This record gives sequence, C-alpha cells and structure tokens, in this order.
Amino acid sequence: MLAVFRREIRAYFVSPIGFVFVGFFILIAGVFFAISNLLSGNPTFNGVLSSLTFIFLFLVPILTMRLISEETRQKTDQLLITSPLSITGIVLGKYLAAVGVFVITLLITVLFPVIMSFFSLLGLGWWEILGGYIGFLLMGCAFIAVGLFFSSLTDNQLIAAVETFAALLLIWILDFVAQSVPADPVSGLVFLALLGLCLVALVYFSTRAVGAAIVTFILAAAAIVLLFVFSRSFFTGLIAKILSWFSLVKRYGDFSLGILSLSPIVYYISFSGAFIFLTIRMIEKRRWV
Amino acid sequence: MIQVENVTKKYGQRMAVDHLNFTVNRGEILGFLGPNGAGKSTTMNIITGYLSATEGSVKLDGHDILEEPQAVKKQIGYMPELPPVYIDMTVRDYLSFVCDIKGVSRSRRKESMGRSMEMLKISDVSGRLIKNLSKGYKQRVGIAQALIGTPPVLILDEPTIGLDPQQIIETRNLIRDLGREHTIILSSHILPEVQAVCSRVLIINRGKIVASDTPENLSRGMTADNRLSIRVAGAEAEALAVARRVPQVVKAESLGTREHGTVDLVIEAHKDQDVRREVFTAFAKADLPLLQMKSMDLTLEEIFLNLITEEREVS
Repeated sequence: MLAVFRREIRAYFVSPIGFVFVGFFILIAGVFFAISNLLSGNPTFNGVLSSLTFIFLFLVPILTMRLISEETRQKTDQLLITSPLSITGIVLGKYLAAVGVFVITLLITVLFPVIMSFFSLLGLGWWEILGGYIGFLLMGCAFIAVGLFFSSLTDNQLIAAVETFAALLLIWILDFVAQSVPADPVSGLVFLALLGLCLVALVYFSTRAVGAAIVTFILAAAAIVLLFVFSRSFFTGLIAKILSWFSLVKRYGDFSLGILSLSPIVYYISFSGAFIFLTIRMIEKRRWV
Repeated sequence: MIQVENVTKKYGQRMAVDHLNFTVNRGEILGFLGPNGAGKSTTMNIITGYLSATEGSVKLDGHDILEEPQAVKKQIGYMPELPPVYIDMTVRDYLSFVCDIKGVSRSRRKESMGRSMEMLKISDVSGRLIKNLSKGYKQRVGIAQALIGTPPVLILDEPTIGLDPQQIIETRNLIRDLGREHTIILSSHILPEVQAVCSRVLIINRGKIVASDTPENLSRGMTADNRLSIRVAGAEAEALAVARRVPQVVKAESLGTREHGTVDLVIEAHKDQDVRREVFTAFAKADLPLLQMKSMDLTLEEIFLNLITEEREVS
C-alpha cells in the first residue's frame, strides 16, 4: 500500500495534474478570501470554505480521473495485480494519495486565517475554523471516493472525469431538487416502486438469474404494499428524505458553523468507505469476465 | 512445480481456453506455441492470477493461486504481452518501485536491481524516463522487472517481440541461462525461437493443446520427407516428365527458373514415403544433373493445419 501511495504522490507532481489542482484551488481560494474577508473586512473565514465546495466539484475529477483508468490503459494493472499486493492495498494506496494531495492543498490555505489573525480579524476563533476544515476534509474524501470509483469503470481518463463531474453535480443539486419534489404519499409510493424496479433490474443484470429477479420483485412489491397499507405517513415527504441521504453538501452546514457532531462524520466516512469498497469489487470483477 | 488442471476461460460464449491440462517441472523451459488468439496470453494471465479461470485450478507447489494469492504471486515474475511500465518514471525509479511492491528487502534491493539491469543491459539508460526509450528498451525493462526479487518461476509472454535481431539472440541466450535457476514458461508464435530455447513445447490452438513434445521430436515431424524441392540442370518440360515417371511421385510442379539453364521443381510423394533415392536415380538415368535437393520444411501454419486435421480425423 505504501509503495503505491508513494508512486501516486510522485505521479501527481511529475505531471502537471498535481500542480494544476493545487494551484487552481489556491488561486480560487485566494480570490474568495480577498473578496469576502480582506476587502469587506468580514471576520468569518468559514464562508470562504463553504463557497469553495462548488469549485471543488470541478477540481475533484482532475484529481481522480487517472487513478485507475490510466493503469488499465497502460496495462500496468497487470504488474500490480500479479504482484503480492492485495487489491484492497492497491486501491487504498491510490485513494490515500489523492487524499494526500488534497490535504496538502488544504494545509496551504491555512495561511489565510493565519493572515487574518495578524490583523486581529479573526472572528469566533480557531476552533470554528478547525471545525470548518474537518468538515471540508471529510466532504472532500467522499468526493474523491466517488471519483476513484468512476476511474475504475473505464480506461479513458476523460470519460472518468466527465462521469465523476456529472455524479458530483447531481449530488450537488439534490438539495435544491429535494425542496421542490411533491411530498404527498402517492408520489412517495411511485418513487419507491421505481426504486424497487431498479433493484430488481440490478439483481437481474448482476446474476442473470430470472428466478432471483422474480423473488426480489415479489419481496420488494410485498414490502412496499404492506408499508403503504399500514403506515401511510411513512410515504409523506419520502422522496425528499431518500434524496437527502445522498446529499453530501447539506451535511457540511454544521461543520462550517463550528459544530462537530458525530452523525455527519460517520456519514462521510461510511460514504467514502462504500465507494472504496465498490471500486475494489469493480477491479475484482474484471478478472472474472 | 506448476499444475494447470482443467483450466477453462470463457469470454461470454467464446471459449478462449478450453479445459487445459499440463504440468511444468522444476527447471524446465516450457514454450507455448500458437497462432494469434490461440489463448496463450489468457493462459498466462490465469497462471499469474491476473485473470480468474471460469473453471479449473492452477497450483504452484500445491498452493492454489486463488486461495493463497500472496504466497503464490511472490514466486512468480511475470512479463505480460505489453511491458507493464510507468512511462512517467525513470528506469531506476521504476525498478525500485517494483522492488517495493514485491517486498524485496532494502538490503537486497541494490543487488537485485543491479543484477536485472546488467542481465538485460539497461544500466546505461537507468536514469532515463521510460517514456523516451525505444520499444526494444521498454521490452527489456519489462523483462528486467520480472527478474526483480529472483522469483523461482518466470512467465514471459512473447519476450523477444519488438527487439532487433542482435537483441533477439541475446535475449534467447539470457533465457537459456535463466533456465538453469528458474522454471520458465514463455510464449511465442515463432517456431525457431521456441526450438532454440525450450526443453518442451506445447502447441495451442483455439484454447486447446494440440501437441506437447520436445522440440526435437516436433521438428522431426515437421520436416516432411515426402516433399522435395530440387534444382535440375535442363529444360522444364523434360525435367517434369522425368519426375512424373517416378512411380511414388503423385505431384510435380515447376517453380520456374532461378538460375540460368536450370529449373526448380517441387515433388510430392505419398505420405511417409522417402523418395529421395528414386528421384536421384531417375534424374541420373535421364542425364539431367541434380544440383540441389532438400526436404521441404513445413511452415508453422502447415504444422497447425496438419495437427488440426489429424485431430479431426482422430475424433
């Protein structure tokens, strides 16, 4: 794992990719910092981090696109997979390298609040800023895990980048969508039924067994009907509830206020873990087809 | 040492490897011979654990590659079809990275890298980016990578492809030398190459083994005594007439004149019949001097065709 980590970190900085990521991030952060803190004399720094989340959306694909796709294209995955390393080790090494570059970048931006403290501009103090940074780091880790996963689906960096960007953008707009979806029980039922059908399709396409698909269909249909009959209130506002499960950005809100609560931390870590796991499964699966 | 049992690989409906069975003994150099798409690379990818077989098992010293991947992979150095090199690294950094992932200890690293680089004569490019190396050098870096950590088993997929003739000879000698300490499986679609280095040859076609023998035995079957190429001093029509008069000859064809005043013929007799003496006597009696006579070597394609048609006849 350590060997892969070291190689990836090096690879970021022998190609322009690492510099583009770090440089662009700091440039934008600097512009935001200057406008919202220095020029307007505003003492809260966390506003800068919050505005950066949207820019970060564009930058994550740059960071993650070549992680696995490039190995597949250059056939160097043959070296890694036939070496004594485990696939988990390889994937974790790569993930941590991307996270490492991200951490380096974040550390550089710590200069901004330091500059503010010279002029006694700092509002609530360092703890609030620390909370903001922890939140930003965790959210970034989740974004990077998504990018890592899409990089394992293709051997083309560009496709990986576009897919990652589309997925992250979708996650980004979920909050706005969730506010305006219908909240009545019937539309909740329809939505859940559609999700059930997706599940059936997933089962069918991953096992190719008609029997398993039919069983899944019956079970899902029964569960949905029972729920609808006995607890209709469950379906009120269901769409918004389900959509908010995937909202990475909303959970960042508390952090930027300096509130460190357990549930968003656990959420981000398990979200990242799930995508890392999916990536490992994708690579394992490739050996079987 | 390596046991391949009933290994099958299906890509959808297509059988890439069809119930392959063979063993490789310690210290043996086994050659895989087969046309493109015969399943050589797929088989090698399965043995090294890059792909999983649809059915069957691969064991190294009794350890299954799927059940104990770490232990087995440590024993194998693999050079795939395309050298698995990171083009953004220098040769030295790359080999050092390979040491890392293969778990070569720090104390042995320098020695292991030095040995690989020296054996493949790449020490002079060790500071250059792999991106800037020629295809032959990349290929050699790929082989050097497989030697890192001196694994007891080496699996080389078409190791001489992309090399110039001088390097091909050097690489063959290298493989022969390595064969003293390592068990080697190498693939090729070039017959003389396999003949030159291997102690045993497997011929694979459409994922099946069609022949398994020593190169000597195979090449014995490969020169066909019943087909002769001759050069006769004389006129074409006359020479053809003499050839056709020999009782065992079924076919005689002219290849035209290549040397002034002579004609080249191809003569075919019944299968398994050596007609060299009869042909010689016939032409001598007709007062047409034979300037050249040799058995026609079969090309690889013809051997395949022969083996495959024989297979059909048997089944």
